Amino acid sequence: MSRVVTEPEKPRAAFVTGAVPKAGAVDPDWLRGRRAKAWDIYLDTPLPSTRSEEWRYTDLSRMLPLDALVPADVSLAVPAAANGDGTVPEPVRRAMAQDRHSAGRIVDVDGAIVAVELDESLTRQGVVLKSLRQAARDGDPVVESLLATRAVPASEGKFPALNAALWTDGVFLRVPANVHLDGPIRLSRWVSHSGSATFTRILIVAENHSQVSFVDECLSPDFESPTLVNTAVELFSRAGAQIQYVSLQRMGKGGFYLANQRTLAERDSTLDTLNVALGGSVGRVDLNARLLGPGANSDMLGLYFGDHDQHFDFNTSQDHVAPHAHSDLLYKGALDDSARGVFRGIIRVHEGAQGTDAYQTNRNLILSDRAVATSLPNLEIGADDVRCSHGATVGQLDAESLFYLMSRGLNREQAERLVVLGFLGEVLSRLPLGGVTEKVTRAIEAKLGNVR
Amino acid sequence: MNDAAILSVAGLRAKVADEDLHILKGVDLVIRPGEVHAIMGPNGSGKSTLAKVVAGHPAYEATGGSVTFRGEDLLDMEPDERSQAGVFMAFQYPVEIPGVSIANFLRTSLQARLEDDEELDLFDFQELLMERMELLDTDPSFAQRPVNDGFSGGEKKRNEILQMAVLKPSLALMDETDSGLDIDALKIVAQGVNTLRQENPDMSVLLITHYQRILNYIIPDMVHVMFKGRIVESGGPEVAMELEARGYEEYRKAHVA
Ligand SMILES: Nc1ncnc2c1ncn2[C@@H]1O[C@H](COP(=O)(O)OP(=O)(O)O)[C@@H](O)[C@H]1O
Ligand SMILES: [Mg+2]
Repeated sequence: MSRVVTEPEKPRAAFVTGAVPKAGAVDPDWLRGRRAKAWDIYLDTPLPSTRSEEWRYTDLSRMLPLDALVPADVSLAVPAAANGDGTVPEPVRRAMAQDRHSAGRIVDVDGAIVAVELDESLTRQGVVLKSLRQAARDGDPVVESLLATRAVPASEGKFPALNAALWTDGVFLRVPANVHLDGPIRLSRWVSHSGSATFTRILIVAENHSQVSFVDECLSPDFESPTLVNTAVELFSRAGAQIQYVSLQRMGKGGFYLANQRTLAERDSTLDTLNVALGGSVGRVDLNARLLGPGANSDMLGLYFGDHDQHFDFNTSQDHVAPHAHSDLLYKGALDDSARGVFRGIIRVHEGAQGTDAYQTNRNLILSDRAVATSLPNLEIGADDVRCSHGATVGQLDAESLFYLMSRGLNREQAERLVVLGFLGEVLSRLPLGGVTEKVTRAIEAKLGNVR
Repeated sequence: MNDAAILSVAGLRAKVADEDLHILKGVDLVIRPGEVHAIMGPNGSGKSTLAKVVAGHPAYEATGGSVTFRGEDLLDMEPDERSQAGVFMAFQYPVEIPGVSIANFLRTSLQARLEDDEELDLFDFQELLMERMELLDTDPSFAQRPVNDGFSGGEKKRNEILQMAVLKPSLALMDETDSGLDIDALKIVAQGVNTLRQENPDMSVLLITHYQRILNYIIPDMVHVMFKGRIVESGGPEVAMELEARGYEEYRKAHVA
């Protein structure tokens, strides 16, 4: 993104108690109560500091001027679904135009859902795709029981609490039993105000033996001052269901992307995630995969490519609560200039989770003397009959590989690009999903420079 | 120096770039268009180093002498410039490039040969690739596999020759391409090389090998024996026969003496 958005002077207001009743003005009682409680937790929870193990490498007090952020001001009237293209910003429309077939689309601008579209046949089959706010207002019992309760509740920490108190809108997607979608549902988000803070949530429930994939793409222009996008992602796959969730973080400079994701996979279900971090100045993703039933399966993929002084921090955990479940994590990152990558992952095999299969791999490719990768894989095993492994590597471009490619006529830059694309491409090839590979490859190529 | 030479190596000395380890100690070699030269010699004598210095491997530094390719000073050129000028090295140990398909790699290599504003015709490329794979009796799915990643030794060698067949060099340096190939694979590779030579009668080959076997299929004009960084004997195909029979013992004795 090259456009820089400057905001006219406006009064800087930190998150104030008054923001909560304002955010919740049109909400049902249960939700207003939940917001108020979350706000209390937020006030009582200190900002994570680098003294804590999980935040050691991401210094929030330095990187995020929390007090200066202005919560996105969302008009409180929830807009009607699918109101044409008039409200969809141009860069989002361009990104959407690159997509292949979708089963449904939803557009979020500055924390408000402005458009929703779903294949008619899916609506007839009972698939629900709507503004989360609208769903709460409509009294959807699934929303009331699962929103910020079992997956990302306020009690999870400072930001989950802040989000649960102040979220303005988000996505609710429910797929009834046995319904399979023939293309992904795509969420396109756009944040436009420099210095703003946007709080959104995604709640996806795939009922027994249903199948759905969801692509969550976040775009913005370059910003003059740090601009926060905070999102809580709650994914539930019921018995035998399949969910694939992809996050494409492609914000502009100044973007601070902070995501709390939790996946709950029940018996024989598959709940795969792919986190792609290419944009923004800082990206922090906390992902907790919970394997709750035997036969549950989670592939957890991550790809990050940082340049300039981008900072990406991934904090993952694989909780094997049930026996005979499988999880496989692969995070790969390339870091150029003075970019920084942090991966901290833990496999927790709970007591009694016999027959667990859990793997965790983090690989980093360092492209400059100043780039730094930190990799902290970890295991905590409370059962004896398990197969677990973890591994981490931090390496540089291999001189032998570059020579090999150059000996076929590629110049150094072309050779480097090909090695980096290949290195990162391995992640994409593990989750072939409706054009995501092509889109991400193009975005990586653009970052690598347009040399042919 | 011979003006008609495609490759002329004169008094070439080379060392490991970041060590005081001298490997080539004055190598002379002249290859004319269309000629096949074989280099034999015991392990560690500097055969691969010679090929890599000609191809421009950054791990080596030429400390004396010259390498001239069609009248141009090769030592002054980057590896990619040498490749685009027509030099190709089939590696003794081909390198794995995970995540990059052979087709993508070759497409990029051919694209790199074009001017900035020229776009490789993908249809022509596909056709060329298919035709070349057929020539080397290779399954079409081969092109979609990541370069050398998880390949058997034989597949790696075949991949080298496939690349050579697509890039159509005027000088092919083949470093122990025959090692690790069974007789059927060896015949296919040799046929491939000979087809390329028919297509371009000026194409020259420098064949590094341990075994006389491949020379039955790719008939050399000259055979050189390399020993401790020097070419110690040159002659016709009979040199290879004699080596096969007698080994390198006499060179060892001569060297000690
Ligand atoms: N990059 C290098 N670093 C250190 N020693 C090397 C290097 N390359 C080659 N050598 C040494 O130089 C000698 C010649 O090697 P090489 O050219 O590979 O021999 P050949 O191909 O004839 O078997 C060997 O002793 C080898 O160990
Ligand atoms: Mg060798």
